[in-house]
Amino acid sequence: MAWSVAASASPECRASQELLDLGHPLPIARKGVADHKEMRIVAMGSSSTQGYGASTPQFSYPAQLQMKLSAAMPGVAVHVLNKGVGGQDAEEETARMKSDVQPEHAHLVIWQVGTNSAIRRMPLAKFADKLRAGIDIGKSLGADFVLMNLQYVPAVVALPDEEEYARVMAEVAKEKGTGLFNRFDIMRAWYNDGMPYSQFVFNDGLHLNDFGQKCIGKLLSNAILRAVKPAQLTGEPKAAE
Amino acid sequence: MTSRFAVSYAVPSGRDLRLDFFRGLALWFIFLDHIPDNVFNWITVRNYGFSDATEIFVFISGYTAVIAYGRMMLREGWLRAAARVYRRVWQLYVAHILLFVAFTAQIAYFSIARNTPELIEEMQIMGLGENPYRAILEAVFLKFRPVNLDVLPLYIVLLAVFPFSLPAILRWPWAVIAASFGLYAVTLHFDWNLPGYPDEKVWFFNPMAWQAIFYTGAVLAVTSPHLGKLDRWRWAISVAAVAYLAFSAFITLSWHYNSMERLIPEWVSRQLYPIDKTNLDMLRFLHFVALAWLIRLGVRPNSRFLTWRIFEPIRRCGEHSLQIFCLGTFLALTAQIVVSNFDDSVAAQVFVSIAGIVVMTLFAYGTAWFATPPAKEGRV
Repeated sequence: MAWSVAASASPECRASQELLDLGHPLPIARKGVADHKEMRIVAMGSSSTQGYGASTPQFSYPAQLQMKLSAAMPGVAVHVLNKGVGGQDAEEETARMKSDVQPEHAHLVIWQVGTNSAIRRMPLAKFADKLRAGIDIGKSLGADFVLMNLQYVPAVVALPDEEEYARVMAEVAKEKGTGLFNRFDIMRAWYNDGMPYSQFVFNDGLHLNDFGQKCIGKLLSNAILRAVKPAQLTGEPKAAE
Repeated sequence: MTSRFAVSYAVPSGRDLRLDFFRGLALWFIFLDHIPDNVFNWITVRNYGFSDATEIFVFISGYTAVIAYGRMMLREGWLRAAARVYRRVWQLYVAHILLFVAFTAQIAYFSIARNTPELIEEMQIMGLGENPYRAILEAVFLKFRPVNLDVLPLYIVLLAVFPFSLPAILRWPWAVIAASFGLYAVTLHFDWNLPGYPDEKVWFFNPMAWQAIFYTGAVLAVTSPHLGKLDRWRWAISVAAVAYLAFSAFITLSWHYNSMERLIPEWVSRQLYPIDKTNLDMLRFLHFVALAWLIRLGVRPNSRFLTWRIFEPIRRCGEHSLQIFCLGTFLALTAQIVVSNFDDSVAAQVFVSIAGIVVMTLFAYGTAWFATPPAKEGRV
């Protein structure tokens, strides 16, 4: 497998090219960058988004996204708004989708979801419905969507049906025409490749630690850049690490 | 000693050398664990089991609070003891605010004077950039506690409530521990926590959960002479404790070695995870209790090795826990900045770890020298 090793002090932060493919273009975000030199992102989600488990909020993936995207697109005003609320599931996030996204005039909503729904055993059909409803609300407000699926960590891997939730997310993403950032398989590849959990998981066995957050932030910005600025993707983003 | 308080259990007299020793050790561990990506923190307790230095620190805080203020209450009355507790709360509060300012100033210094722009970014994202006035206001109310500044607010809340439970601890300790565990259970069940800032944040160390270990320490301070009854089952308890510690060590080490991790059946992982730190997971609590039981058996209050000169730096740090805790938090940030921005070699990690401990130790000796006569009471 061909690994894309991004420019970094830490060579282990990696994902195969196909895993970084969001599977759907981001026309609104792209237009925002091209026409208005602006990219407004709402990071919707739970504790992963909030940054629980990282030693400083600077390491949370939305903060990393802000830094990496700004560095990679000089002249473009990048705003990443962190709307992560620890402990929430798809239902609770759908309920606040409108009030959190509307005032921000987002070009792109990244919705990190699935883990808490899986832990609470939300029925899969209900989970899918909540995803569809949340995406519809965000799209009606004029934003592109990227779903970020579950994290590959001991607490999630131990669930009997975590892959079912990941599968539903992929199906809904396809059906609704949204991007999917396959965090689960990216992190599973780390593990299968010999990276120990201590490298990327906080010691509660559920949340990402500094490395995990930073690396997900970097890979996600690469994936977004690829969707937004395909011409420049031959070179690596000028990430300030 | 006569007192108008009805007391069922005596407050132990005489100095328990274990308290300063293990508290000093916990302070060193907290310092080391607060430096991310540090090979030197392999020596700390968190790598070999579920609980870490925080449990040790909070447990000993409860234990010493009863010894110091319990004696005072019996001698001088509740009001005076409560007033002294609040003087201590005030000291903790002042220390916390000073630490907050020093901590932020250090980031500002390195980012501006040493031209490290990522750190400015860090400050902004911490909430100081967007709305500094609001952040400072929230810091005053202990709601805004950036990075690693979570422990003192927990301690402040625990100690502020403590005077109201102190008479009960001396009279009905078993009822107090039952109430404490009850609050812990209810907190977990209803997912209670105190509000933080920004609005969606809560306390990283949930005081309503972490009080359980504080009161375990507090109640054991008066009941430990009566634990002899448990010694009938000393072997059975010890075997269980060792087995649990071994299990816990295996799980914790498996996070570092995938080959070990693959040996853990899925149904076991399903019971274990997540091991919540914010709400003091039961696995963490039990791990600490198992450790404490073995230490009770293995280390007597006046064990000889505790007085060895080689351990004096640890005891000195434990004696001046508030100052050393604050200094350690500040130095851990320095170490983190050095390692992540200037030199991340193993040699640098070891160097900043040892240098920090040396500075903490020198400071503790300086404080001891400065405090004449040395304070005997009220130090928690």
